[in-house]
Amino acid sequence: MTDTIPTPRRPNPLGGIVRSLEFRMLGLALLLAIILSLSSPYFLTERNIFNILDQSVVIGIVAVGMTFVILTGGIDLSVGAVFGLTGIVLALALKAMPIVLAVPVAVAAGAGIGLFSGVLIAVFGLAPFVVTLGIMAIGRSLSFILSGQRSISGLPPDLDAIVYSTFLGIPANVLFLLALYLAAWGYLTYTKGGRTIYAIGSNVEAARAAGLSTLVYSILPYVVSGALASVAVTFSLAQVMSADPLAGNGLELDAIAAVVIGGASLYGGRGSIIGTLLGVLIMVMIRNGLNLMGVSPFWQGTAIGSIIIIALLAERLINMRSARG
Amino acid sequence: MLQSNAQTRAEALLTARRVSKAFGRTQALSDAALTLRPGEVVGLLGANGAGKSTLSRIISGHIQPSGGEVRFAGEPLTLTSTREALRRGIALVAQETSLAPDLTVLENIFLPDLATPGRLSFARMRAKANDLLRMLGHEHVLPLDAEVRGLSAAQRQLVEIAKALALDARLVIFDEPTASLSATEVDRLFDIMARLRDGGRALAFVSHRLEEVFAICDRVTVLREGHCVAEDVATSTLTQGDIIQHMVGRDIGAIYSARPPTESIGETVFEVRGLRAMPWVREVSFSVRKGEILGLGGLVGAGRSEAVEAIWGLRARQAGEILVRGQTVPLRRPADAVRAGIGFVAEDRRAQNIVPDMSVRENLMLAQMGQHRGFGRGFGKRADRVADLLRDLGLPADRLDQSLLNFSGGMQQKIIIARWLLTEPEILILDEPTKGVDIGTRSQVYRMLQDAADAGLAVIVISSDFEELLGICERIIVVSDGITIADLPADRLTEEKLTLLAAPRTSTARNQALLRDLAREHGGDAFWTLLDGDGIICLAQAGAELAGLVPGQAAEAQKTHIPAALTARDGVFVTEADGQRQTLLVQMTDRRGHDLGWIGLTLPGDVPPPPPDGIRGRVRALTRGPEEETA
Repeated sequence: MTDTIPTPRRPNPLGGIVRSLEFRMLGLALLLAIILSLSSPYFLTERNIFNILDQSVVIGIVAVGMTFVILTGGIDLSVGAVFGLTGIVLALALKAMPIVLAVPVAVAAGAGIGLFSGVLIAVFGLAPFVVTLGIMAIGRSLSFILSGQRSISGLPPDLDAIVYSTFLGIPANVLFLLALYLAAWGYLTYTKGGRTIYAIGSNVEAARAAGLSTLVYSILPYVVSGALASVAVTFSLAQVMSADPLAGNGLELDAIAAVVIGGASLYGGRGSIIGTLLGVLIMVMIRNGLNLMGVSPFWQGTAIGSIIIIALLAERLINMRSARG
Repeated sequence: MLQSNAQTRAEALLTARRVSKAFGRTQALSDAALTLRPGEVVGLLGANGAGKSTLSRIISGHIQPSGGEVRFAGEPLTLTSTREALRRGIALVAQETSLAPDLTVLENIFLPDLATPGRLSFARMRAKANDLLRMLGHEHVLPLDAEVRGLSAAQRQLVEIAKALALDARLVIFDEPTASLSATEVDRLFDIMARLRDGGRALAFVSHRLEEVFAICDRVTVLREGHCVAEDVATSTLTQGDIIQHMVGRDIGAIYSARPPTESIGETVFEVRGLRAMPWVREVSFSVRKGEILGLGGLVGAGRSEAVEAIWGLRARQAGEILVRGQTVPLRRPADAVRAGIGFVAEDRRAQNIVPDMSVRENLMLAQMGQHRGFGRGFGKRADRVADLLRDLGLPADRLDQSLLNFSGGMQQKIIIARWLLTEPEILILDEPTKGVDIGTRSQVYRMLQDAADAGLAVIVISSDFEELLGICERIIVVSDGITIADLPADRLTEEKLTLLAAPRTSTARNQALLRDLAREHGGDAFWTLLDGDGIICLAQAGAELAGLVPGQAAEAQKTHIPAALTARDGVFVTEADGQRQTLLVQMTDRRGHDLGWIGLTLPGDVPPPPPDGIRGRVRALTRGPEEETA
């Protein structure tokens, strides 16, 4: 009864770009970079930039999976625990088999855990928050049991090739990160599966009624998230050369924060992989900048927490202004 | 604009002038006016989207107007909440009831009291509730301790009315109160409204069913596209044609362009047999042919939407067979149905059709993408067809990447229909395709459906708007209480006949019981039928099949076994020419004199007929409501 007289908005392509989330986030990232480079002469050095990229690898990889999950309107609290558990699995596997077999085993373990969560959520209709909270507890507990409550070291030295080999002067882990974002962006933007993930988060009933495969693409994001958590731990292990059962503690919150700062809606359907990349860079830059300025690491939480809340508030205010009625 | 001829009438209780309301960029009301007086029923009329509900919601405090003036009892009225409206004595009996389903009838009637501090006396509430129901003439019909969840639509409405009276409302707005009521229940509601009016209350009756407006309203106000086009005109000075003219602004015939009959209709492409999806769908069977527009009619809540959702794989089925081109197809998920060549525009546009965060293009291509086999989106494949559709829709291609939410309800609906046309289905099912669509776009939606049918699609339309069904369909299946009860050509039907056919079985239970009793007592064939000239539509039948009438089917008198009786309609037993059968027909009318059909009893020709007076008396007793028997 309410929608009667058609009064459509006039198209304005430039306005569309300016209004887009990525544009606003890029602005925020640049602003931050300018402030930090003014505060510390060391910030804009080549070495520090590679440092920031290097620090972005683990959280960046995990945030891709988290973006998939959040786009469907879900949440994955288990990524930190899966990161820890599959790290232990990888370390144990490396003692039994060559690297080229051990890494796929660990990734398959992460994907399997994600599949389990996804089936519980999509087939049985359980709440994502509760399912992944349960998996988080189980995962952390199993990683202590599997590791015998201690770090596993003595990993094969060849493993560090994953991180320290370079191509055109760019470290392999940074290259992988950029390639992963490019692939995820292409998938989410230009494929049936990617668009179905958006449609599920935006209106699952309409997606189902239109004949989309909502079941498959409701499960897939959790599989991707679990698998990418174990990919991330592979890079982490290659740098640290030891697997800690406590590794990845709180990683899920960092990943969620990056996705939310990147402009995604926790209700699903809205957000982008570019936004997530910018969200990751913003978080890492804040940490890096505060370190450079000699601010106590205990202030980092306050800074990142404030940015999350400001980002959410800004999104809400913009939505309120553009909402009808 | 027509003006009322002022007579000596009561001082206006409520006057609304130049009321406007905008929702974002949509102007729902721009120049609305309404005058309500104690002791009068005013019909507030208008087509879908004219702003009737918006105006009633403004007066009852649900929403605030953007401009204009409302005066109540001589003072300016500015309401900020419904609670304040109730306190002032303004109540709305709405389309969707505002009852708490888990609470009892008694608790619901006094729900506003629960918010007041202090102890509640249930004994006093009970006594007051009984007083209120007595005033409404419905004492003892409503179990005070029953949960509202289990009540029928009519009973819930009664609770709503009692709730309004418990607050001593002086002004009651009935917003489309008859949408899910049977003919008998409507009659009873009008009785209650007449009592309220005679008790000095001011009533507004929002409706688009003209029959009902003439039955109950003293005066009418007509809205069109947010404007008041006729204000406070005495009903007695108007004809239905006048009101339609005001509502539509042009001749109604222009909206439904009649199709040349049966030209393109071919073989049966889709058939449903014995569909069962409890609790809403008990036994639904129908078939539709290539090039045909089939209507699924019935009251709101009869199980039509649930039936098509079960076909579409959105609801679990317990039984039933679905055949496409004569082959049984196992449809478990919507994707299966799409593959089988079916398209489905669901009832609730915002909840079931639109993906709000996606552009027009993606919404348009959504079903096509789901059907596409491959990794990509499959957008390129149909570029030419998309261009054709956009031209038909009158949508410039440069607006494809905007949000679908920026468009009017009518354009959204056309895009959703186009979404399914893109998949090139053989069968297209649409549930309430013109709900919330403005009148201008409605005829375009109808044209899309007719073009689709002309192109050879089998089109199935569900609608609660009987006028719409009669206007666009060749054939109508009537669903009542989850059962398909009639399959009739549209040209044999009228809105009144459809209303009778669609009545819930609970409200015709007494008629059915009488048929069974008559058939058993006299050893014959008892039936309930509509007679219109030579045409017959049998509504129900019991006992031996002597008369040759099939419930839910249309027939002609000459093709039955009792042509003489059906032609004579004499009020006595009429024996057929061959002496094999004798038949008594008794007409049923309600208290307002409306035709409710005929009750017939056919006996073998060789038995002595019973005296007709007894049977006539029993038929007459049927048309009186149960409340009069208990009183």
